[in-house]
Amino acid sequence: MESLQDRNSRVYRITYETFSKFSNNLNRCKSLEEVSKVSERFLKYLLNFHLFRISVNQAGSYLVYCQCNSKGEFELVPKENLLPYEIKILEDNIPIRTEKIPIELSKKISETILESPFLWSWTFKKMDIDFTVSLVADENKAFDTGDIEMLKLISDSFQAKFQEIYLKEELDSKNKSLLQALDIIKNQNRKINQIVENQKQTIADRTKEVVEKNEKLLRISALNAHNVREPLSRIQGIVQLYDVFDDATCREELLPKLKQSSEEMDQVLQEVIKMATTELNQLKANEL
Amino acid sequence: MSTIILVDDQPIANFITRKLLEIEGYNEDVIDFTNPEEALVYLEDKQNTLIFLDLNMPEMNGWEFLDYLKSKSQEHRIIILTSSTSTIDQNRAKEYDSVIKYVEKPLNKDKFKKLQPFLQQQ
Repeated sequence: MESLQDRNSRVYRITYETFSKFSNNLNRCKSLEEVSKVSERFLKYLLNFHLFRISVNQAGSYLVYCQCNSKGEFELVPKENLLPYEIKILEDNIPIRTEKIPIELSKKISETILESPFLWSWTFKKMDIDFTVSLVADENKAFDTGDIEMLKLISDSFQAKFQEIYLKEELDSKNKSLLQALDIIKNQNRKINQIVENQKQTIADRTKEVVEKNEKLLRISALNAHNVREPLSRIQGIVQLYDVFDDATCREELLPKLKQSSEEMDQVLQEVIKMATTELNQLKANEL
Repeated sequence: MSTIILVDDQPIANFITRKLLEIEGYNEDVIDFTNPEEALVYLEDKQNTLIFLDLNMPEMNGWEFLDYLKSKSQEHRIIILTSSTSTIDQNRAKEYDSVIKYVEKPLNKDKFKKLQPFLQQQ
């Protein structure tokens, strides 16, 4: 027959093997839903309870996991919405063992007829993060101080996993925000590049227009200069002949040609002025 | 003495050149044309004629005149006489073997003296 010591030893070994499996499975969890499934599967083999509840501080709010009747659920609540005994225990750090089960908890386990139920509750702090652990047990599922060590191990595992998931979600959220910001920056860059390209095109168009106008004006001024020089050179040619010919020849032959050339020059100049005025008016009209 | 041809659409320009030639004793063998095409017809059966040629003419400009002579392999000696002061025109004139001198108008006695060596080849 198995001795009591052997039996205790076997129970102890089975319990810690179960905890090891629980811990391994919990480590692999990526979400709160997965945590809930692992807890629903293993927690009943590690502790005697009707209801298990853990509330972990996360940036001011509390992530609450409550498991009852092999079903776990999560909720995120502000501190003031924690159960009154939890608020009290967070302030005074005095563990609770009481027969007064809050209605919020007792209604969850109404399917079972409780025999002398007790509410146990503790508060812990790990890496500046406080959390409470509570459970309801009775004669059928007796919890005693010997189970506190296991409860502490389980609580630490939960707290660490919650923190990991919380940090991962926060990181994902920040990454998402960064990606959104990056998208906005890319869009803005695209718009800026488009504006710059439009500006470049406008500048290129305007420069081309100015260069073409300048070339046109240069061509006109060169043409005008040449046209003016034609009759002028004739006038100069006739004038120098005055030194060679006698008065009668000058009067009869050179003077009419001088007159004709000067009239041609006047005509050319009038055309130049007209052309210049037209060009100026056109430029002003284009600018308007 | 061979004939000297003057080609300028402005009769007064031809008149000035002719008078300057007369002063230098070239008064019998000078023919002037205000239409370049008529000058080309006249030159059809001629060779080595001295031609005073204007560039800026409405119907056929001086460059077209030179190109025509080149295409017909007619060898003449051409003095360009123009009111153009463009270096582009001056450089372009150098591309023609037939062009022996480029002179800017107005043609005066000093410029004419520099042309004497070409006239004496007549």
